[in-house]
Formats: sequence, structure tokens, C-alpha cells
Amino acid sequence: MQPEAGTAPMLCVRDLEAWYDESYVLQGIDLDVREGEVVTLLGRNGAGKSTTLKSIMGMMDRCAGTITFKGSDIRGAASHRIALAGIGYCPEERGIFSSLTVAENMILPPRFGDPALSLERIYELFPNLLARRASFGSKLSGGEQQMLAIGRLLRTGARFLLLDEPTEGLAPVIVEQIGRVILELKRAGLTILLVEQNFVFVSQMADRHYVMEDGKIVDVIANDRVQAEEGKIRKYLGV
Amino acid sequence: MSEDNILTTEGLTKSFGGFVAVRNVDLRVRRGTIHAVIGPNGAGKTSLFNLLTKTYPPTSGRIVFDGRDITAMKPYDVARIGLVRSFQISAIFPRLTVRENVRVALQGKTDESYAFWRSGKTLRRLDARVDELLAVVDLTGFADSPAVQLPYGRKRALEIATTIALEPTLLLLDEPMAGLSRQDIARIAQLIRQLAADRTILMVEHNLSVVSDLSDRITVLSRGEVLAEGTYQEVSTMPRVQEAYIGGVHAA
Amino acid sequence: MFEWIDVSIPTGAALYSQLLIGLINGAFYALLSLGLAIIFGLLGVINFAHGAQYMVGAFCAWALLHYAGIGYWPALLLVPLIVGGLSIIIERTLIRHTYKLDHAYSLLLTFGLLLIIEGVFRQAFGTFGQPYAMPSSLTGATNMGFMYLPNYRGWVLVASLTICLVTWYAIERTQLGSQMRAATENAKLTQALGVNVPVLMMLTYAGGVGLAALAGVMAAPIYQVSPMMGAEIIIVVFAVVVIGGMGSIMGSIVSGFALGLIEGLTKAIYPPASSLIIFVAMAIILLIRPAGLFGRSQGVPAAVSVVRGGADTSINPWLSTALLFLAIVAPFFFYPVFLMKALCFALFACSFNLVLGYGGLLSFGHTAFFGGSAYVAAHAMKVWGFPPELGILAGVATGATLGVIIGSIAIRRQGIYLAMVTMALAQMLYFVAVQAPFTGGEDGIQSVPRGMLFGFIDLNDRLTLYYVVLAIFLIGFAAFVRIITSPYGHALKAIRENEARAVSLGFRTNSFKLICFVLAGALAGLGGSTKVIVFGIASLTDVHFAMSGEVILMVLLGGLGTVLGPIFGAFAIIAMESYLQAYGAWIKVIQGVIFIVIVLVFRQGIVGEFDRIAGWGRRLMGRSPSKGVQARDASAGAHN
Repeated sequence: MQPEAGTAPMLCVRDLEAWYDESYVLQGIDLDVREGEVVTLLGRNGAGKSTTLKSIMGMMDRCAGTITFKGSDIRGAASHRIALAGIGYCPEERGIFSSLTVAENMILPPRFGDPALSLERIYELFPNLLARRASFGSKLSGGEQQMLAIGRLLRTGARFLLLDEPTEGLAPVIVEQIGRVILELKRAGLTILLVEQNFVFVSQMADRHYVMEDGKIVDVIANDRVQAEEGKIRKYLGV
Repeated sequence: MSEDNILTTEGLTKSFGGFVAVRNVDLRVRRGTIHAVIGPNGAGKTSLFNLLTKTYPPTSGRIVFDGRDITAMKPYDVARIGLVRSFQISAIFPRLTVRENVRVALQGKTDESYAFWRSGKTLRRLDARVDELLAVVDLTGFADSPAVQLPYGRKRALEIATTIALEPTLLLLDEPMAGLSRQDIARIAQLIRQLAADRTILMVEHNLSVVSDLSDRITVLSRGEVLAEGTYQEVSTMPRVQEAYIGGVHAA
Repeated sequence: MFEWIDVSIPTGAALYSQLLIGLINGAFYALLSLGLAIIFGLLGVINFAHGAQYMVGAFCAWALLHYAGIGYWPALLLVPLIVGGLSIIIERTLIRHTYKLDHAYSLLLTFGLLLIIEGVFRQAFGTFGQPYAMPSSLTGATNMGFMYLPNYRGWVLVASLTICLVTWYAIERTQLGSQMRAATENAKLTQALGVNVPVLMMLTYAGGVGLAALAGVMAAPIYQVSPMMGAEIIIVVFAVVVIGGMGSIMGSIVSGFALGLIEGLTKAIYPPASSLIIFVAMAIILLIRPAGLFGRSQGVPAAVSVVRGGADTSINPWLSTALLFLAIVAPFFFYPVFLMKALCFALFACSFNLVLGYGGLLSFGHTAFFGGSAYVAAHAMKVWGFPPELGILAGVATGATLGVIIGSIAIRRQGIYLAMVTMALAQMLYFVAVQAPFTGGEDGIQSVPRGMLFGFIDLNDRLTLYYVVLAIFLIGFAAFVRIITSPYGHALKAIRENEARAVSLGFRTNSFKLICFVLAGALAGLGGSTKVIVFGIASLTDVHFAMSGEVILMVLLGGLGTVLGPIFGAFAIIAMESYLQAYGAWIKVIQGVIFIVIVLVFRQGIVGEFDRIAGWGRRLMGRSPSKGVQARDASAGAHN
């Protein structure tokens, strides 16, 4: 029954449903992410993008469906097991611990495999962080927090990243820097599922885009079709 | 002078530690309009809303409601002078009945609420008004069921009924459509339009089709600042608003 | 000018020795509040059993010495491991199930644990203390020049300070500590980053309890090893924690030592105030800085955190009529004193039901109202010669006044903080009752005359007394029903259901809560002063915190927020105490078990549970929040 290695997607989500109390937030999501791909979830606020990531991480109190990662079903597993299976999660608003220093935040997630980048390389990529190693998380700027949030995943050995709106509320120059990092990670062979509203940003690195609306996937657009489909995308996302 | 503004803010700013959530916002809400505040995630909509509802004090700036400076007022006093908010998660009293939910709101305006010696029957004189309000939000048939048993969209309607029970002159709605199904959205939108007939409504909402459908004026926030203001037609065609929504920064 | 309260400023050795005693006490306060703070920070559990676990630590050291010949030094290492290890079992089987519930449930659960542990030890060892010899290497004293320092006490000071600092270092500077801090801030995210948070929580509980056990070993040679030693210290430690700011590690350490020192200083200057000073300090700090000295201010009050009950206001007329008939004929079938006692406690239970069931305020020191009124009524009738009706009136007035005082301090905090504050204030009243000149100390106020009600009803006739008590009960109960159905009652329920929403609808919620305390105080005062007439005595048991626990049990057992349930609960508990008297401390154990079962299985109480099954049955197909959470919790546990 095991899908053949190589051809099977690294992450395979089927009929995913999730609820916040009585609110039916995910109404049957199907999506696949293959190894080495950068895939985005696009959609307006409240479409269910963040909830999809949280469901994959086992952080929802109530969800249904199947989530297969590298061939094994992870739905219902404790979320630290999911992390240790190789998924790195960067939450919305970055999730930097304010009572931990930068260095402590960096080494908080346990290391379980061959790191994608060495700690030295991470600090090289984000020189600000090295300078602010002893500062508490609460003292960082938004951009520094975002770099730390991504950086701390890279030394764990995770080779599959879930990034929730990494450009949210950040200044353009920082957005550029984060874009460069994601491209470097892609070149290093990491697989990334990215939630974004900034479509122009993701169109420079993604392979495919899933479009979400009202808790459902309403469209899938390959990145080489974005030029042709631009009108449609503006309608999905725009004002 | 020429404009009749029910709510104005001057240089409203809120920072949390080093992070400025709302920066120097001058908002003017004209009486009798539906005014929407929109913006991408992280734009500071919720922080602005919380400042207006007195959930926390501003770092600097002033809020003037109906000619009175309310910057330092307590939330319950603000409610009594006609500025009433709704909540994003349906804020109801789950184990009171639907009728009791609305009645308590009517009670809130009176000091009789302290009368622990009086019979509860004295509250029956409020029932006629309760029935009217329930009819407005189409909940008459649910009057005697515990509020917790209402379907999600109906809870939102109940919350709106309790909010208008205070006869607010300005109604603040925090994402009234969050988590609602399409049918419920249509119903609540209809209700909001109906309520706007004799009061001002300020709402934070990210469902843009609702916003375009309902609002007279729109303020677009981005990174804590006012990016644009105008009618839906005006703001939606501005390039900087487009960019804020779908991005425009080019990576290397 | 202070002769009348006998204030003297001691100098030299006397002062130093009191300060030393204070510091030693402070060392134990610091160790215990440190453990509480660690556990609360990560688990969100107020570990009420903490004092009992400290006591178990002391007994464990004693047992190792007496049964296995293992001395003090190995015990210092072994006991924390044994007691901490046992606490892992408690965490896995019981406490874990409260993580996703309101904090108040874990408070009630661990209170049940406390009753069980203390009951078992009292059954085994009685209330007398067992001596535990000091290690021979630390006997004697050292001349410090200005005073003689007993070597063992010097060691305790140094050791506890070291342990506190090591613990602080471990939390602030190690990898495990940073995981703990991260999980304290956001457990869900920490776990999603790969940290095994459930195991971390388990180890944290064991660590906090281990600290308590270690304190117990160190205390064994100083204090008597007695089953009561934990109960005596834990409420003081709660006050320390409230002062320091819950969850602050450094705050616990500093305020522990500082308050011990202040206590010692007070003892040197004005001894009778020494047991009160910490509670007075707590009240003052709450008024000035509600978040505690080291706590971060909480900002906006979130939705009130309370145990949820039914807030039912319906009374079945047939059932009420039948009960009334039963009450009228009961003295011909049951022992009237038992019935009268139960009726007095039923009033007390109604009072607690009003604050918690309808007001959502977890008043954990509720006996202050009951016992305080009992003392005043007893004094009024015995010393001032008040007739019974005025005695009762004095009791009711006292209850209401205490409601104003305690209420206005307590409503500055919410949820479990409110619980700890009320408990500490009640304990303050207890110490007043122990020491004040008019309360009779250990004896209480005895042989209070019953007298003639309104000058012509002779209360010495037992049957007459019964019907008078029944009438008083009915008046009190009618008042209770009127309150909960009044306009005020409706508003109160709404505030309990959703405080933030009530504020946004224009309710000044604090005024409602204060009135709730005053009304409940008056109602409890009615029960307390009526009890004085029945038994002719007001004593320390009336103000002891165990009584607060009992009334909570009555209400939870009967059904929180139901009209009649707490009355059943009161009868059940009083009946249990009357008929199981022969089993001694096992009653406490049974009560503890009932607490735990209610928290884990019947969170609505017995009457409430029937209502729930009947009323919610049709919603079975829908969502059942608490059950769902538990089921998920259990399955998550299975993965670990």
C-alpha cells in the first residue's frame, strides 16, 4: 500500500476539515507538496490558510481527514512528534518567545537530523541576529523576529518548512531579504509550504499556488501560468 | 464645520514595547454613514478597534465622540453614552435564553439592575421591547432557547440585537462576518444595512465584497498607518492600495 | 503611648534571634512558593497539595530514619526523588486531565488531594508531632559575636538560599529552563517546534513537588513532623505568592525571605501581630499593586475565569412542597440537632452558591463570613445579653460588613487569584480569632444562652428551637431565591457568563461583584449566628479554612448554580460527618475523593448533572466540549 518513493508527494492532505468551536473553518482541503517544491497557499484573510498549517502541525483541537507526511499518517499525532518527523513551523506573527534571548530562541527547537544550515551559516545569513544574540525576543524589530523565526527552524534538521505570512507587516527591504533566504533554501533542496497574501512576492519563488476561499481550495495555478492568469488572481486577492 | 463627524481621532498612536501597532491615525467618521476600516493582515485594524472601544489606552492621541473627549473614559461609561461595540467571537451570554440575553442588555442602561430585593417580574415591562428587537434580527422563534444552542450565524444576530438594545448612536462592529457561511453573511449584511438607517456604523471587516456592498466610506490601514481613505471605488483603484493587498516588492 | 498594646522595641540578641527565626521561616516560604510558582507558570495549576507534599517530605525523612536507618544526608537526596516520583503518578493520572479546563478545577482537584494525603497521615500518625533528630554534625551553635547562631539553622539558611539560586539559574540559564520558559509563554507553539511539552510539564510538576519535599526534610529537625504542618504553612505561602506576583521566580524567592523577615521583626516588636502581618501586607499590596510586587500588570481583565455551574433559577413547586412537608415532620424521625445543624449549613451553602454559582466568584475563604458572624453573635448574646433575634441580626450585619471588606479587596483580582486572596483574608480572621481577647482562643465562646426569641418563645425547648431554625432557614432561602431571580440576579448571571460583554453593555461589573459578596456575607452570617443558637458555641473550627473547603464540597456535590442542590449537598455532608464519625480522619479522605471525582467526572455536581443529562440530551449529536477535550487529551497521552 505504501506509495512508491520518489513519485509520491512529500506531504499529502486529503479531505481536511477543521473547526474553531462551532465555526467550520476548513471544509475539505486536498493538497500535495512534492519534495523540493515551494508551494503557496493564497487567499484573503479568514480563508483558512493559517488553519491549514496549524492542522498539519497537529495544533487544532478538532480536525478530520488524512495528512500523510513521507508516507505515514500524522493526523492526530502530538505536535512535537510531527515537528520531529521533519516539519519546521513558523507561525503567523512569528512566534518569538519574548522571555527568551535571541540565542535561546535559536536553540530552543530540538535538533533531530542533519541541519539544512549550520548555526554559523544562519548567523551569516542574518547578521543582525548575531549582533543581538543576548537581547530578549520582545526587543527585536519585526524583521529581526522573522529572521529568527526562520533561522531557528534551519538548525533542527527540518527539511520541510511551513511558513505563515513571513512578510506580514514588514518593510520592503526586509521583505527582499526574506525573499533571498527562501530562494537559497529552495536551492538547498528544502520543501516549503508558504502562506502569503503578497502575491508578487511569492510569484518569484513558488512552483505552484493553491488559492483558498471560505475554507476550500478553489483553484490551483502553476507559477508559469501566473502571467496569463493575473486578472483572475487579482480578483481572488485584490480589492 | 461643514462635516458632522460623530467620531474623530487625532494622532492616535499605540505601541507595544518597540512595536508601533497604530501610528498617528486621524480618523473621521461622518454621522449616519457606514464606515469600514480595511487593510491586510497586521495592518493594525484590531489594535485601532481596541483603542476606539477603550480596551486599552492609547500611547498618545485623542478620541472624540459626539463632541466629548472619551480618551480617558471607562468602557462601561462609553457604552452608556452611546458608543457600543460587538465582538469578533460571538459575545453572548451562553446559558441565558435568547430573550434573557436581550433583556439584560436593556437592563444595562438602568440602575435598577442593582435591585436585588425586587422581583424579577418587574423586568417583564421590558419584554415588549425585547420582542421588537428579536423581531428585528429575526430571532422571535428562538426566544426561549438557551443562547448556546443557536446556530453560529444566529448567535451573531443575537449579539447584534443586544448591541442595538442600548440604542447606540455609534455601533462598532469587529469583523461581523468572521466565520459565517455565505447565507449568514447575506442575512447579517441585510441586517447591518437596516440598522444603518438611524445610526452610524464603524466596522472592521476583511470580507471585501461585503465592504464594497455596504460601506459609504473606507479607511485603508497598512502597517499601522492610514494608507488611503474614500469610497470603495476611489480606494480600490489606488495603486498603493493594490500593492498593499497583493504585494509589489521584488525579490532579488 | 503604646502601653496599651504593649509595644516594645527589643534590642540586641532578642531582636536578632527573632529575625533569625523569621529568616528561617522565610527560607521555607521561599522554597515552597518557588515550587508553586514553577508549577503554576507552566501547568497553570495552583497546587493546593503543595503543603501536604512538604509534610510528606518530612514524614518520608522520618520514616527512612525509623524504618530503614537512613539518616538526614541521604534523605536530602532520596526524599525529593521519592516524593517527586510519586507526584509523577498523580500528574499522569489526575492533574493532567485539568490542563484544558479552567484553572479553578485544578485548584479544587489538588484541594481534594490535600484532604486525602492529610487524612491518611492523620489516620496513621494522629495529630501529634514526631521528633526528628538533627544530624549530629550540625548540632551546637556558633558565636557570631552579636548572637549565637544554631548551626543547623545556619545550614538551613545557606542551603535554601543555594537551592533557590540554583533553581533560578536552571530556569534562566539552561536549555531545559529556556524550554520551560518558552512553554510557559506559549505551550502549543513550543510543542509544535518539537519540544515534548507533556513530558516537560510532568517533570516540572515533579520538580516543584520535589522542592516542597526537600523543604520538608530540612524542616523536620526544626519543627515537629506532624500531619498538620503542611496546612499551617500553605496559606501563608499563598499570601506570599500573591504578594510576589504569581509565576515570577525571583518574586517568589525575594518575597519569601522578605516576608519571613518582616514576620520575625513583627514578632520582636509586637508578637500578637506576627501571624497577621503577612496577610495585612498582602491586602495592602493588592490595593496598591494588584499584580503583585514582581508580577506584570495584567492590563484588561479577560473574561472572568470561574468554575461554570448551571445558574438555574427554576424550582419545581411539587418538589418544594414535598420538601417543606418533609422538613416539618422530620424532627419526629431524625435527631433534631442533626437537622438543625444541616439547616444552618444549608444557609451557608446557599451563600457560597450565590457567590460561585451565580456570581462566578471563587471565594475560597468563605468561612470568614460564617465564623466571623458566629463569634460576633455569640459575644453579643453572651456578654452583651442580646436577645436571640438581635444576636442573629448582629451576626448578619457582621457577615455583610465582612463582605464589604473582603469583597472590596478580593474583586481586585479574578479567578484563582481571587480564590487565594479570599483564602488568605479568611486565614487572617482565623488568627484574629486565635488571639483576640474576646474570642476565647482555643476554647472559643462557650455556653452562649439561647434565650427567649422576641421575649416569649423559649428556644430551650428542642422542638420549638427546631421550628424556629426551620423558619430562619426558610427566610434565608427565600431571600436567596429572591436575589437570584431579581433584576440584580439576572445582571449578575450575565456578568458571570461573559464579563467582557457585560462591560461593553454598560455594566460596572465590580459593583455587582461587591454587592454579591455583601449579600452572600449576610446570608452566611445568618447561618453562622443561627448555628451559635443551636449549639451555644462559636469556636475556631467555624473560622478554620477546612470549613471553607467543606462548604465548597457541599455546593459542588449538590450542584453548583442549582437552587436546591446545595441544600442536598449540605445535608449529605453533615450526615456523612455525623454518621461516619467513628471513622475519624477517613472522612477527610472520603471528602477528598469526592472532590476529585466531581472535578474529573461530574463537573456539574449531582443535581446539575441530572439537569444536564435531561436538558442537553437532545444535543448529544452535537458537540460536547469537555468530553471532546478529554477524549483528545487521552489519545494524545497514548502517544507519549
